[in-house]
Amino acid sequence: MEFASNITIAALFQQILVGLSRTTILFIVASGLSLVLGVLRIPNVAHGSLYMIGAFLAYTIATLFGGGSSGFWIALFLAPIGVAIISFIIERGLFCHLYEREHLMLLLFTFAFTLVFGDLVKLVWGSDYRSLAAPVFLQGSFSIFDLPFPRYNLFLLIIGPMVAFGLWFLTNKTKIGKIARAAAVDREMVGAVGINVSWVFAAVFVIGCFLAGLGGALVAPTQNITQGMDHSIIIEAFLIVIIGGLGNIWGALLGALIFGLTDSIGILVWPQFAIVFPYIAVVTVLILCPKGLLKSTW
Amino acid sequence: MKKLSLIVFCFAVGLAVLLTGAEAGAAKTIKVGIVDCYSGPASTYTNDVRDAFKLAVDDINAKGGVLGRKIEFVTRDSKFKVDIGLSAAKELVMREKVDILMGTINSSLALAISNLAKKEKIPFLVTFSKSAKITGAKGHRYVFSITENSALAGKAGAAGLAKKPYKKYWIAGDDYEYGHAIADGVWNNLKKMKPEVKLLGQSWWKVGEPDFTPYITAILAAKPDAVIVATGGRDCVPFLKAAKATGFNERVPFYMHTATELSTLKPLGLNAPEGVIGTSNYFFYYPKTKENQVFVKQFRAAYNRYPAVGAVYGFMAADFIKKAYEKAGKINTEKFIDALEGMTVDTPVGKVTMRAYDHQAMLPMFMGTTKKAEGYDFLIATDIVTIPGKDVMPSVAEIKKARGK
Amino acid sequence: MPDKKMNWKYIGTGLAIFIILIFLPQFLPRFYIYLSALILITGLLATSLNLVLGFGGMYQFHHAVFYGIGAYAFALTLTKTSLSPWIALLAAPAIAGLLGLIMGFICVRLSKLYFGMLQLSLGSLVWALVFRWYSFTGGDDGIHGISLPDIISSTTGSYYFTLIVTAVCLVLMYLIVNSPFGRTFQGIRDNPERTEAVGVNVRLHQLIGLMIAGAFAGIAGSLFVAVEGSVFPDLLFWTFSLELIIMCLLGGWFTFFGPMLGGAIIVMLRTFVGIYTEYWTLILGIVLMMLILFLPEGVLGYLKEKFKMHDKTVAI
Repeated sequence: MEFASNITIAALFQQILVGLSRTTILFIVASGLSLVLGVLRIPNVAHGSLYMIGAFLAYTIATLFGGGSSGFWIALFLAPIGVAIISFIIERGLFCHLYEREHLMLLLFTFAFTLVFGDLVKLVWGSDYRSLAAPVFLQGSFSIFDLPFPRYNLFLLIIGPMVAFGLWFLTNKTKIGKIARAAAVDREMVGAVGINVSWVFAAVFVIGCFLAGLGGALVAPTQNITQGMDHSIIIEAFLIVIIGGLGNIWGALLGALIFGLTDSIGILVWPQFAIVFPYIAVVTVLILCPKGLLKSTW
Repeated sequence: MKKLSLIVFCFAVGLAVLLTGAEAGAAKTIKVGIVDCYSGPASTYTNDVRDAFKLAVDDINAKGGVLGRKIEFVTRDSKFKVDIGLSAAKELVMREKVDILMGTINSSLALAISNLAKKEKIPFLVTFSKSAKITGAKGHRYVFSITENSALAGKAGAAGLAKKPYKKYWIAGDDYEYGHAIADGVWNNLKKMKPEVKLLGQSWWKVGEPDFTPYITAILAAKPDAVIVATGGRDCVPFLKAAKATGFNERVPFYMHTATELSTLKPLGLNAPEGVIGTSNYFFYYPKTKENQVFVKQFRAAYNRYPAVGAVYGFMAADFIKKAYEKAGKINTEKFIDALEGMTVDTPVGKVTMRAYDHQAMLPMFMGTTKKAEGYDFLIATDIVTIPGKDVMPSVAEIKKARGK
Repeated sequence: MPDKKMNWKYIGTGLAIFIILIFLPQFLPRFYIYLSALILITGLLATSLNLVLGFGGMYQFHHAVFYGIGAYAFALTLTKTSLSPWIALLAAPAIAGLLGLIMGFICVRLSKLYFGMLQLSLGSLVWALVFRWYSFTGGDDGIHGISLPDIISSTTGSYYFTLIVTAVCLVLMYLIVNSPFGRTFQGIRDNPERTEAVGVNVRLHQLIGLMIAGAFAGIAGSLFVAVEGSVFPDLLFWTFSLELIIMCLLGGWFTFFGPMLGGAIIVMLRTFVGIYTEYWTLILGIVLMMLILFLPEGVLGYLKEKFKMHDKTVAI
């Protein structure tokens, strides 16, 4: 049990930056989950599988287009769309018939999808590691106070707030966003006013899953693209959503920040037990604010 | 009524499956049961074992088999879960009635099956699991290891590092038994060979850690001379990726067991970091002996890919099985074991002997550094140093001590 | 009032099944005896889950933790102390029940999804502890070759031991479910506000329910050690917890023996499908989907409906 004796201001600042870039992926994935959970009230365990499919699709698309920088950007654009299409098919085909069921059933149904997708990915892509390279100008790292900060992480730091802003705009300033928020609180009322709630739900679900695919495509250059990605992200995403408040985008951001930062600072401060910091943070938040830090939609 | 008939139908099908599962009484064969993980990232390694084994077995069978019998093998997927794997092993022993068990990359499962093998008195050939306990503290008559383990790798790694000028070390790795075992193996041996080395600190991340950047920056902040990276199969590739992205390999030299292996370097292509020191049991391009070249050619022809280290284990398994039964003269477990002890076979890495005392194959280790090379779209190892098997094996006295004798 | 005549019919059937199970080893090959023991353990575990899931309406997302801790408690007591194995057996339900109390105390203040997620979180923490604490728990290597008394270490011996313990536990759980406590518990599931209004301490009841469920899960864990002779952290992994929920659903979670049936089906499917294909997970997923779409009351639940076995007590 030893505390690292090399905590300088520089190192701390660096770790915070790293933690923030990690927050981006967590936020993008968690916000998608939060949207679906908040508006449709579906605890979508398969969200992690869609994230994984996003990563695999990104790999395939990038390789199809030559694997270089252009391949990456095309993949970044097309992979989330691919995931959105898949989610649209699932939603129209299966989920929309189950909205009246209780949450546990919905959760188990999405868990069934996790199982199915897990093996389908294995069938389609095989079980080898896949690796995707970031575009050349995003490879390598800057030196901040003599410590490396990967360029790709900077890219993530920029993308994160862009997505957050885009989502805020979508939910608060567009008509569909306002309808969705209303439907989250009272779907019957919205239906009574003459709006086709079913299509609203479909749209929200597709957007939520698009975000999962986007998260997967973004994370692809930084890690192994492999089975098991779905399991590791889904628990973290759910915890973030719960501590942030269901359906609350800013809550997802806050939760992701807490998660990402406690993790990276923990690594600097107490490397051997860094793993427990995010969980302790989560447990503390839930004990103090059982419904999450920010307002949830239900 | 429709639902009820559906349920009855399902039960009927299930019963039919159960009953047809009973053995088809064909001609007598030597049955081998392989339990391994064929799902997820581990399968990159395990597929090679199975494929090479199949190739070798097909060859043996074509030439008449062993003592007039063909070798037949079945596989079971443990999905990296110990309870599924153990159940499958029991099913292989009690239902399929295999003569020999083989497997597995998961160390906990290997130990569990080893225990089963001891109880059921069935020989168990361990492929890929790197726990030193298998032939060390928990070794016994019925378990054999035809793969390297953390004790061997540790000694090899230390031997190589002792020759380098580094004094201040940092240890980092996967926080599970293997990670700590390999780190301890390297460090303890290094300290013995070069007492002036100092350990500045350690970092341990969870297996399957998605982002190594915070760990890398924390290590760099400590400014060690070199780092010992103790990652297991799953995290080697992602860590090397992160190392390249942060320029870690250019700032601080680091050693990682299996960093020079094909399975690790191939997925990264030309984006793998150079200058990483690694140890490995096999390269398809070194040594360029006739044995190795023939082996590589056959494997490539059959499977359209270069063989990685797992292929050698699979090949060796088939060879050991064949020669041990032939030496024993009959299909008898006890005689098979007696024959296998001390047996030497020719392999693509040279002659390998199965040490009689602890049932550990004395595999040579190769230490090298990663580097780009002409003609390959992945990195290979250069400056390769061969450390013969007998130099990396723990002494018989050490094994005795571990087993509490 | 419960129909006493109907109850005797069920008790008779139960006894008949029990007698068949006793004589099973006489005519089954060894592997199937082992498999039967495994089915009994899994069924017992699923039934203990259903105490709080189906009968309590609680989102018990990480029941496997109590199973695993029970198994480890038994294994560690056996290997690290010189206590007699029969005393060591008591450690399993004791420690698992205690964990149920502690985790329950933290989680019970929340309900539904939040309860489940917090339990999942805490349970994952326990798993991480067991996984990394090599000096005490053997870490991810697990503990193997645990020595058990000769009567229960053979395949047949462990089967009979499992059968007896499972039967006793089932009887106990059955009595609990049909007791006033059990009925209040189901009342809480159906309408928590009403029950609270009548003066029932909902949280206390749920806490006790969790302890009991945890203790029985712990017993199942100790049986696992008796049959397999090993423990490993996989026993506490969250995907196993979800599989247990699937078993309850498959069998019928408003019935008593549903989970037992569900467990039997899943274990058999997993074993035999695994022989023919690597894609067992795919099949499990499809089975689950079919279940939710077409048979949400589970196999036994459906049969109960079909043959109009409605009664006030939980007969089966």
